[in-house]
Amino acid sequence: MKTTERQTMYDLTSVLEFDALSEVRPGSSILISGPAMSGKERLAYDILADGLDKGDGAVVVTTGDGAGSVVEEFRSLVPDLDDSQLGVIDCRGEGGTDEEAIGNAHTHHVSSPGDLTGIGIGITKALEGLHNAGNEQGRLALVSLSTMLTYTDKKTVFKFCHVLSSRLDSAGYIGVFTIDSGAHDDQTLQVIKQAFDGMIDVRDAEGGGREARVLGLAGEPTDWQDI
Amino acid sequence: MSDSDLPVVLIVEDEPDVAETYKLWLQQEYEVRMAQNGDEGLEQLDADVDVVLLDRMMPGLSGDEVLERIRERDLGCRVAMVTAVEPDFDILEMGFDAYLSKPIRSEQLHETVDNLLDRSEYDSLLQEYYALVEKQATLEATKSSAELAESGQYDELTQRVTEMRDDLSETLGGIEDDSDFIATLRGLSDDEDN
Repeated sequence: MKTTERQTMYDLTSVLEFDALSEVRPGSSILISGPAMSGKERLAYDILADGLDKGDGAVVVTTGDGAGSVVEEFRSLVPDLDDSQLGVIDCRGEGGTDEEAIGNAHTHHVSSPGDLTGIGIGITKALEGLHNAGNEQGRLALVSLSTMLTYTDKKTVFKFCHVLSSRLDSAGYIGVFTIDSGAHDDQTLQVIKQAFDGMIDVRDAEGGGREARVLGLAGEPTDWQDI
Repeated sequence: MSDSDLPVVLIVEDEPDVAETYKLWLQQEYEVRMAQNGDEGLEQLDADVDVVLLDRMMPGLSGDEVLERIRERDLGCRVAMVTAVEPDFDILEMGFDAYLSKPIRSEQLHETVDNLLDRSEYDSLLQEYYALVEKQATLEATKSSAELAESGQYDELTQRVTEMRDDLSETLGGIEDDSDFIATLRGLSDDEDN
């Protein structure tokens, strides 16, 4: 991928303590993969909340939660949240916006998780809103690719991820995208992985709790480590 | 195929002087076709046309209507809408690939047409890249790592995937602005409908 100059690296180690995550290059897209209920979405949201704490903008593309509840969630994760630092693209295709819940956040509704053009327009508007609010850098989370894959085929999702990655690259953002590793066949997972610069694998640890490893961002894959 | 190897640009413009000017600017580098109104434009349109320059305000069929019919015919050409006024943000939702507001300068016109051709190139590279990635994934999903390590075919594929990835990032110039981004995504959804 292209290098973006004059921008600082993203340090994700306060969310996940891996050396490989200490200097994530602007423009990087990371796949968060793991079985159902393994905390992938939590992890993606934590990465964004950490960014908000550090003055980065945050954009959430959601196929499951409504825009209102995403904003509420971030208000609880980031106590002194300035709504205007947050953009939400709600792809559930359900109308009804709770204006009060949304506050000054940049929200956009899309008819379905398969409406890629609509999602792109929402992201564009959110990036513009955040830029106007003074954000030079930011983090985007897409939750989840698995839902998108039920609306459209893997080829289209692969291309979408690639095109979105290049848009994030020119914006100097990083992106985290979640996928349920148990919901797709190996070939699909292998294909989707190739659209990303790196991957965070999460799983339930044998003795309880969870563990993760990082692949592809810096050097060799890391070992599994409790999180 | 067209007679020449040059990319084909179709100019749909009701003012003859304006159309002639565009043609003068473009004819060195492109094969240029001209149409004085929307109906004529649709007649001149076929699979050889790469880029359409479409005037939005014309007697008879409007540019918007012509655009809609072009999309219905699913020819895969890129459409630059030429408008008299600077359009507002909603242009992203209107389905054209670029817009130019009058008066247009020569270099601006060249830049727009080149950019649209680059984007077609990006699309076909992405298509090719996907095909390689899919092949690679199929091998990975069906063979053991020992088998993969010994497979010359897999080795070659992996190398090509890496090369292709670099090629793609070099062609990314076409996708830096918002209308490029949206138009590329629109292209993906259209492909899926086929």
